[in-house]
Amino acid sequence: MAGGREVAESCVDAVIAEMVATYCKRLHPSKPELAARRVEAIGYQVGMQLAERYTKDRPRFADHLEVIKFICKDFWAEVFKKQIDNLKTNHRGVFVLQDNRFRWLTRLSIDSPANPSDSSPTSSAKVAQAAGPYLYYPCGLIRGALTNLGVPCAVSAEVSTLPACSFIVRIKA
Amino acid sequence: MFAIIDNLLPGGAAGASSGGGGGGSIMIVCVAIVGQQNNPLYLQSFTGADEALKFHYIVHCSLDVFDEKVSNPKKAGANLNDTFLGLLYPTEDYKVFGYLTNTKIKFILVTSDQDLREIDLRNFFSQFHGAYVDAASNPFHVPGKRIISPAFADRVSTIVKSFGSTPQP
Repeated sequence: MAGGREVAESCVDAVIAEMVATYCKRLHPSKPELAARRVEAIGYQVGMQLAERYTKDRPRFADHLEVIKFICKDFWAEVFKKQIDNLKTNHRGVFVLQDNRFRWLTRLSIDSPANPSDSSPTSSAKVAQAAGPYLYYPCGLIRGALTNLGVPCAVSAEVSTLPACSFIVRIKA
Repeated sequence: MFAIIDNLLPGGAAGASSGGGGGGSIMIVCVAIVGQQNNPLYLQSFTGADEALKFHYIVHCSLDVFDEKVSNPKKAGANLNDTFLGLLYPTEDYKVFGYLTNTKIKFILVTSDQDLREIDLRNFFSQFHGAYVDAASNPFHVPGKRIISPAFADRVSTIVKSFGSTPQP
């Protein structure tokens, strides 16, 4: 957005962290699913608005694959200043978008285990548990953008080692 | 599927038409935005008289042409996926032009002018789309509902007034 007003990246990080804390810890501490839906819905609306903005000066997309590619390249570049590192598909409506350094997880860390040589399975489960709530918003973002561009889908996220992250897009037939 | 909504912002229409058309004749008589489900999002006429109903009818008729242009790519030719769809159809008094975005939002322009340059039209739709993007990004705007922001109405009348002032290539 040339000439647009800008905001510090740390502010965005802080807002997202605070939004997750507000919904998951303060408003709905006993209903994690409801909190997830609320945060996801905020991302959904923002994703719709961003899709409208970022596709303004380009020809219309011909098929679903073009839309997914747009998300991986241009959309990701606008939002995160980098492209998706790896895009995989099973050619049957499931796409896996892998980002090896997901920007919104780079400021995140978990309590280091007492013993650094702790067994890896428990630590990766810990990472997934800690990072999970912070991925509702980007999942909503992707779903909103895709839905607005005519690709109805469900989006989930997986994380095993910080700050890498995979988004799984399932297109609804 | 295209419910008629009653007179939109009557004050804005009167103000815009009295000052509009720097060259004497008013060229753009109506602009409209129609959503993904063919739901009306915005309609504004720029003739002094209260003719919203007539323009709703004209805009409604153009929706079928949108579908036809998109599903019949042969007619569209080379610029198959261009957002600007060109002339949709002429009526006795007006010409109707259309623009379809990636997000399947339809922009419609009704003009009384017979001699138009394509660059003016493209320029107009691009600015109109920009105004819509900003209005839709307003967190208080509900997606799929009518745009009621007065700031948006002001911006649209400014764009309409400046129509045709693109410098010659």
